[in-house]
Formats: sequence, C-alpha cells, structure tokens
Amino acid sequence: MNDPSALTADAVEAIGKSQTSAELERIEVEYLGRKSGHVSKLLEGIGRLSADERAVLGKAVNEAKRMIEGALAARRSQLEATRLADLAETEAIDVTFPGRPLERGQIHVLTQVRRQIETVLESLGYQVELGPEVETEWFNFEALNIAAGHPAREMWDSFYFGPGLLLRAHTSPVQIHAMQRIKEPPIYIITPGRCYRRDAPEATRLPYFSQVEGLAVDKGLTVGDMKGTLLFMIQSLYGRERKVRVRPSFFPFTEPSFEFDVSCGICGGMGCKSCRHKGWLEVGGCGMVHPQVLRNGGIDPSQWNGYAWGFGIERMAMLKHDVDDMRLFYESDLRFLEQF
Amino acid sequence: MRISYEWLGDFVDLDGVTPKDAAEVLTRLGVEVESMTVVDLSQIVIGKVLEQKPHPKSRNPLWIHQVDLGDHVQQIIAGAPNAVPGSLVPVALPGTTVPNGKVVKDMNIAGFKASGMLCSAEELLLGEDHAGILILDRGKPGDPLTSVIPSQAIMEAEITSNRPDCMGHLGVARELAAGLDRPMKRDFMPAFTGTADPPGRDLVKVSIDDPDLCSRYIGGVIKGVRVGPSPDWMQRRLRACGVRPINNIVDITNYVLLEYAQPLHAFDLARLSGPAIHVRRARANEKLLALDGLVRDLTSDMLVIADALRPVAVAGVIGGEETAVTTATRDILLESANFNGPSVRQTSRALGLRTEASARFERALPPELALAGARRAASLIAELAGGSVHREWADVYPRPQQPVRVNLRPALIDDVLGTHVPLEEAESILKRLNFHVKVMGDGEWDVLPPVFRLDVTIPEDLVEEVGRVYGYDRVPPTLPGRRHERWTPASPSLDRRLDAIREVMAGSGYTETWNPALVPGRKLEALRIAAHAMRVSNPLSDDMDTLRTSLLPSLIEAMTLNRDRGRLEVRIYEIAEAYLARVGERNGAQPEEPLRLAAIASAGETADEGRDAVYRLKSVLDGCVAAMAAPPCAYDRASTELFHPGRCAAVMLDGRQLGYIGELHPTVTAGAGIDGRVVAFEIDVEPVVAASRIPRAQPLPRFPGVQRDLAVIVDETVAAGVLQAAIKELAGDLLEQVRAFDEYRGTQVPDGHKSVAFTLTFRSPERTLTDAEVDKVMSEIKQGLEKRHRARFRE
Ligand SMILES: [Zn+2]
Repeated sequence: MNDPSALTADAVEAIGKSQTSAELERIEVEYLGRKSGHVSKLLEGIGRLSADERAVLGKAVNEAKRMIEGALAARRSQLEATRLADLAETEAIDVTFPGRPLERGQIHVLTQVRRQIETVLESLGYQVELGPEVETEWFNFEALNIAAGHPAREMWDSFYFGPGLLLRAHTSPVQIHAMQRIKEPPIYIITPGRCYRRDAPEATRLPYFSQVEGLAVDKGLTVGDMKGTLLFMIQSLYGRERKVRVRPSFFPFTEPSFEFDVSCGICGGMGCKSCRHKGWLEVGGCGMVHPQVLRNGGIDPSQWNGYAWGFGIERMAMLKHDVDDMRLFYESDLRFLEQF
Repeated sequence: MRISYEWLGDFVDLDGVTPKDAAEVLTRLGVEVESMTVVDLSQIVIGKVLEQKPHPKSRNPLWIHQVDLGDHVQQIIAGAPNAVPGSLVPVALPGTTVPNGKVVKDMNIAGFKASGMLCSAEELLLGEDHAGILILDRGKPGDPLTSVIPSQAIMEAEITSNRPDCMGHLGVARELAAGLDRPMKRDFMPAFTGTADPPGRDLVKVSIDDPDLCSRYIGGVIKGVRVGPSPDWMQRRLRACGVRPINNIVDITNYVLLEYAQPLHAFDLARLSGPAIHVRRARANEKLLALDGLVRDLTSDMLVIADALRPVAVAGVIGGEETAVTTATRDILLESANFNGPSVRQTSRALGLRTEASARFERALPPELALAGARRAASLIAELAGGSVHREWADVYPRPQQPVRVNLRPALIDDVLGTHVPLEEAESILKRLNFHVKVMGDGEWDVLPPVFRLDVTIPEDLVEEVGRVYGYDRVPPTLPGRRHERWTPASPSLDRRLDAIREVMAGSGYTETWNPALVPGRKLEALRIAAHAMRVSNPLSDDMDTLRTSLLPSLIEAMTLNRDRGRLEVRIYEIAEAYLARVGERNGAQPEEPLRLAAIASAGETADEGRDAVYRLKSVLDGCVAAMAAPPCAYDRASTELFHPGRCAAVMLDGRQLGYIGELHPTVTAGAGIDGRVVAFEIDVEPVVAASRIPRAQPLPRFPGVQRDLAVIVDETVAAGVLQAAIKELAGDLLEQVRAFDEYRGTQVPDGHKSVAFTLTFRSPERTLTDAEVDKVMSEIKQGLEKRHRARFRE
C-alpha cells in the first residue's frame, strides 16, 4: 500500500468503525507507528526519488498523518462522550448497600453532658475548680454550716475511712477550698466531680454519682441573678422554651434555700405521665450562700454575697436522653454507651 | 408526712380552695407536696342493715343483707359478717366507682340477686384495716356518705428538717393560711387547764438529771378516765395519716402529735411504781419491754423515763408495755416533754427504731410546744374519755426557751431578692406568719419570731420568710453583670483538655466508660494491688468497700460483662482517679488521687495476635500523648502485677514512669472468666498534661529525602529500641527518621536470631543528597551495628 490517500481513506474507515479506545490505540500504532506504521512505510525508498517528487510525497504523507490523527482525536472524543453518557448504567453501584462500618468509639454520655454544662457556664465566665474526693469532715460538713448533730446531716449519710475522713457527699467542699485560695471576689466557679452517699443503689439513686455545683461571690448578687443564671443554663442545655422555677427548701449552707425545677419537655408544663402530672421536673438545689459559709471560706459577708447551686450530672443526662435507670451509666454495657 | 386536707380545714377556711390548690400553695411555700390521693366519697350513700342471713348455697361464707336506703330496700351480698342488723354502712350502688377503683355492677350470686356493695374502710381508702364492712356511728339512710365523712385528700409532703413545727397539721395550716392570706381559726396555745384538786404537781414529782438532754418535762394527772374506742372521726383521721387506732387515750396522744407535732405519752398512773418520774440515763443492764412487744437492751447513752424502780419509757422514742394504758386504766399521767434532738436520734438509731415521736424530737422541737400539746391533749381527754384533769401540772423546765430577736434592715429584702417588695407587704407577710414586727427609730425592724420557730435567727432567715410568701415567681430572672476591676482569665478545664485524648480513643475504636470508684477490696487483694487501698469503715456491702487503686480491674470487669452479653470484641477506656493511701497513713489521711487513663482491648487467641495487639495499643497511647502535644513516651521492659511477665513495658515520659502497657497476665484474664488474650495500659495522665507544649511550626523541607530499608539480623535478646538508638547515633545529622517496621524469624535467619527491618529517611536542609553520600552513611551504620551487636544484614 503506497497511495497516501487510499491509505488515509482506509485508516479513517477503520477509525470510524472502532468501538473502544483500545481499538483506536491499535489503529494508531498500525498507521502511525514510528517505525512500522503504514504511514511511515510510505516514506520507505524516498531517498531514491527526485527532490520534487520527494517534496510531493512528503507533503502527501504529512497530509495523511494529519488526517488520521484528526480522525483519531475526533473518534476518541466521540467514544469518551458515549462512555460518560452511559456511566449511569455501566458503573452503577447499589447505593442501598450499607456503608462499611468504621471502628469508632463513643465518648461517655456523662462526659458529653458534663462538657455541655462546662461550656455553657464557661461562656458566662465561670471557671472549673476541682478538689479531692476523700475529704475531711470539716470541709464536707462544718464549713458548710452542717454541725455535728444537725438534723440535716442525715441528708448526707456518708462513707467514712476513719475519724473525720470521708468520701465527700457533694462537691461543695471545693467551694470552700476555692474561696480560701482565691480570697478576693469576684468568684465565679463551677465544681464538677464525683460524690458519694450511703444510699443503696436503685434506679434513681446510687451511692456514687457526679455533681456540678456553681458558686458566684460578688457584690450585690440577688435571688433574681441566681434565677437568671439557672434559666440561662437550662435553656442553653434544653432549649429556649424551657422554664425554671425555684421552690423554697432548706439547706444549711444557703439562706434562702431552694430546689429548682425545669418545666417538663414533653407536656410543656401542662402535666403528663413522665412528669407525674406535675408539669415540672426536679433538677437540683440552690440558694443564697449563708453568711457563715462565706466566713468559713474567708470572705467577709458584710462586703460580699453569693449564690450557689448544684445538681447531678446523671439527672441532667436522664432528663435529656430519657434514661430511666441511673445504674446504666456505670454498668459499662456497650449496647447502652453506644447509643449516645 | 401525710397531711389530711380535711383536717387542715379545722384551722383555716378552705372555702373555694381545692386540695390541688392547697397542694400548689404549700409547695410554693416550701412544704413540697410530692403526691396526693383524693378520696371522693360523693357517690357513696348511707344504708341501714335491716336483716342479715347466711347465703344458703354459696361454698364460701356469704351473707345476704336487706339494706334500707331511705326510699327503698335493696338486697346486697357481702363476704364479711360484721354488718349485723341495725348497722349503718356505706353502700356503693351499681354503676358507681368505689375510691379504690372497683366498679360496682348488678350481680347474681348463686341464685340471689345482689345490687350494690357494702364498703370496707380499705375500699373507701379510709384506712388499711381488714376488719370488714365499715360501720358508721351516725347518719341517715339514703343520705350521701359525705354527710358524715367528708371527701378526703391525703397529701404526701416532704417537710424540710428546719421545720419540725410543720410535722403537724397545725403548722402546715399556718403556712397555708399565710399563703392564702386567710386568718387562722385557732390560737397556737389552747386556753384549757385542769381544775381538779389537788394540784397535779403534788400528785407526781418530776426530776431531770441531765437538763441538756431534757429541757422540759410536763406531767399532767388525769383521774377517772374511761378507756374505750375513740370516735370515728378521730380514728379516720389517724388511719388517713397511717396511724393505727388503739384506744381513746393513746389515740388522743397520737392525734395531738399529728396536730401539734408534739409527741406525748400516757402512763397508767396505777402501774407506775411510786408517784415520781425520774428523767435519767439508763443504767447498766437495764432493759425495757417496749410497746412493740420487744425487750430492748438499754445503754448509758440512752435517756429514759423511770419510775422509782425501773425505766418505763425510752425518752422520745417508745413507751413501755408494763405501764401502758389498758382498758382497765382509770388514772393517767400525761407526759409532754422536750428531749434533745441528737440524743433521740442516736438512741433511735441504736435501737433500730424510728417512731413518729423520735422523727419529731430528732429535729429539735421548741420546748414551748410541750405545753400547747399537753393542754390540747388534756382537753381532748376530758371531752372524749371523761376524767378530771388536775390543775397545776408538774412542769420542770430547767432550760427555758429564750426568745431570739432578729434585727432586720428592711432594704435587705430587696437587696437579696433582686426585686422590690413594698414594706407594708413584707410586714404583713411576717405578721401572717405570727412574727412580731416592731419598726424602730432608725427604720430597722426588731422582729420576734413565734415560739414555734427556732429556725429563724439571722436577717437572711426573715428575707426567706418574706420571699417565699411574696412568691419567688414574682422575682424577675436577671444575669449578674457589674463593672469588675478584677477577673480571672479563662483557661480550659482539665477535663476539656483531656478531650484531645478522648478524640484519639474514639478514633481508635475505644468507647469511654465511667465505672464506680468503690470496688470489692477482696478483688484488689486477689490481684495483689491492695497495698495502698483505702477501706471504707461503714460500707454498704463488701462489693463496695474499698477505693480502687487502679482502673484496670473495673475495665476487666466491664469487658467480662460485655462478653457475657454477647460482645466478644471489646475496646474500652476510662479517665478517672485512682486512690492511693499515703505510706504509713492508711485511712488516717487524705490519699493521693492521681488521675489515670486506662484502656483495655480484646487481643485474639494466639501469641502473635497478642503481640500485634500490644503494638497497636502502643500506637493508640502514642497518639493520645501526641494529641496532648507532649513529647513522645519511651517504653522499657518491665514487669508488674496484672501484666504478662514477658509482655509488659513501663511507659516513660521525660525519664518519669507514667504506668504500664502490655498484655494482661493469663491468670488475670482467666480469673475474670475471659478466654483469649487482652491488652491494656494504665498511666498517670497529669504528667502528660503538664508536659504539654504549644506546637511550634517547623519549616517544610526544601530538598527531597532519601529512603532506605535495612534488615538487621541480631541475637533474639537485642531489642529493637536498642538497635534504633544505635542507628540514630551512628547515622549522624543526615538521618531524619528511623523506624522499625517488621520483625522476622524463619528460614533465612539462624536459630536464636531475628531480623528487624528498619526504614531510614535521610535528608539535608542544604542540598539534595546523592546516592553516594547516603551509601556511605549506610555502610557506617552497618559497620557500627556489626561491631556493637554482631549484626548481619539481609539484602
Ligand atoms: Zn410532663
């Protein structure tokens, strides 16, 4: 075959018929291959030709090459367009097939709730303070105005190690430590941590649990400030529509003292089964810090006053996630922990 | 405490106030009503039994009654035999719902029509006894039962420990009256006194040994009483409050206790040895046959009431059987006293006996209450049991209650509450609560609390009184925000910093757990990690008697639990304190409470799987430390309790030991019922936090690095870490990184030897390294390793 135009016609025809890029590859090699391609072969013996003939042949061969290359490129883009157009069928996967599981662990729900509480209160300027779990009786009771023989001591039946040494029944001792250390108000702190009371384990009560207490000591603090802080905290954790109410109660370390309730999230306060038709859910205790407690913390109650509050992290998590048995938090059953 | 709504109506007008309203008002005042049982008797009618015949056919004994219902007579069948002809009984007609929830239907029992039901007290929720049909003492057939027994609502209320005065209906009613702003119908101090001669104090002598334990003892003498059942209304109220009626005298003492919160006791005067009461501590070996039928051993810590010979009551807790009032009693000594709260609590605990009386004395009652209670009881006895009350009772009162006046700067109310309470309103509230308010020249208030309020001693207490009646709902919520000149800069909490570790653990497939810190001490002992354990001296059980010295036993137990519940692959961790008694000070001083990070993971069955799992776990730990931006840990071969002797490393940070990592000892896993291997680590986490540095950016390399692999054949005993350190030292500055990536034993390696493969990365900060340069360093490394460790090399 030595007629460039016939060769070109053959090549263009073959290219037109080709269906795959592999075929095109083969055709390209067959015609345009550097050594043994048909087009290259046209030039075999060109040395025997005259200069004019050489020029004519060279031009024809170049023309053939250009046309074949053009046809190849055109066919390639045609084939690619077809391939892309057909992707929906040719490369379809079953998208309903489940994703491949990741090996990812969970962060404990109580850590999550504690983290949320810390974050909300830190945004109000409160700092986290920590303290020992094994406490002296003075910090756990006397400093908090709970003298020996005080009938209220029964509220905090405690585990003892020896005379005067016990597992703290609340994180309130941390408040005293903090006041003694910081000395000069303003003091805005929260005290998350584990506490212990000598109560037999049941669904709503455990001998070990976690608390967050808050303490503000400043000039001219009011019950209104305390209510506002609780409301800010509760709405930040549970949503704007929640309401907070404070009910008079009694704690030796606050005066006045309150329990605080949150409006039921299910009935919005109308009363339903889950709030035992009260419309409110008990969350924790609060009050204005008793002047004697300030004194025990080394703060002058004629200059400063304060409010404090406390609640169980488990209780918050139970309200938030509809957990009905507190023991689940400490049982370490992965089927439970992986739900959060 | 159980509070009867109907009883409150004795003291305050409840017109237009439903039980629910009353509960709401009380809750907002601080008497928290936790639940309420409403007993609606409006559908029940009164019937009079005309005839009672046994059912002729029924297998169980049944009685057929003809009951007069005023306008007609109805046949009603009942199982109890006590509705004899002439009895007035409560009748529930077909279609009504009895308070206990039963719906009454027309029935036919073995051929006899039965229309309606005769009700027991239990079915009407009027009491817990099973005596049969409730027999009424009055009423007209056909009238609603509510004409003789009002509908009831029983509130279960929580009385805070500072308000013993509210452990009686009178105190609760006073709160309600203040909350509703209605007057009290009755004064606190009854006017009644006895009139009979001679004076009671001449009939019975009272002496008190220890005035600290008994600040007052009133002994009233009442002669010629007729002991019998108390009236229905009284029995009903007692039952409603959970007290079993006994006889009129005992019932009256209980009734007054439930009304005034003042415990009382009645002795049969004739059964006392000698007309003298001696309040003293119990003597060695004294015993008392108590009213509950048990003989109680008394100790010298316990205060008793004694006659001339023996104890006749444990003060404030329980009376004695041998001097109790019986149907034969004619003359009584009525005791109304005030005993020391802590002493009563201690005695009640020692005896394991908590009574209505001890529950009240424990909370420190005001001694003034004793006289009010005594007068109320004496007047009821005179009214309901006859008898003559002698005048001028013995009243030994060595520690008279002192009035505590409180000075209040009225502006404090607004200052503390954060809202404006008009002065007149504040004053009116205090007066409604029976406080005397005297406005002084300087505008301060001189306030005298009522005698029954020992809990009010400082101005803040008065603010609370005003606030709770004014209503805390009326205090607008605000956020504190003043111009501060001093502050503490924000810094993340320790726990939030540790979230970096939690992220690594979560990404590595480990789930966080929170486990109890109280564990069984015997378990720590079995694991031989109890040396520094703190033992609780009053544990709830031996499953929770010791503070854990390590988090690992908890995690092992959690792994067992999950395996038992079908989860074989377990990867969990915990961040919490361990508790270590300080040397030589066990249980005497506060322990160290190091914060620990511990993790545990299933690690297959074979030795190779176990080894690979240890290496994977090392990466997890390295990842945690890196996430805290602390320098990397080193690992030294070590051995310790809980860990496999050949597969344990001490975790070192800056030369300080943080803890251990490795495979758990097979006996530990077997002891926990786990088959298969388990890897774990436990470290002190605070040093890691302390070593944390803010990472500083390093310039990116400008020239390409060159990587080479090196397989080193050495004796088994040469550790990879040692080889790695040697390579670093031999290579000099051009070596950027070296890392062991494979360990091989097999055909190409002689016995007792292993091949350890390293990847080395070389780089110069100044130029592109040539192969020749790297080859030179590599050969120096090889020569050095040959010399130091008799190493050979695989190609
Ligand atoms: Zn609800």
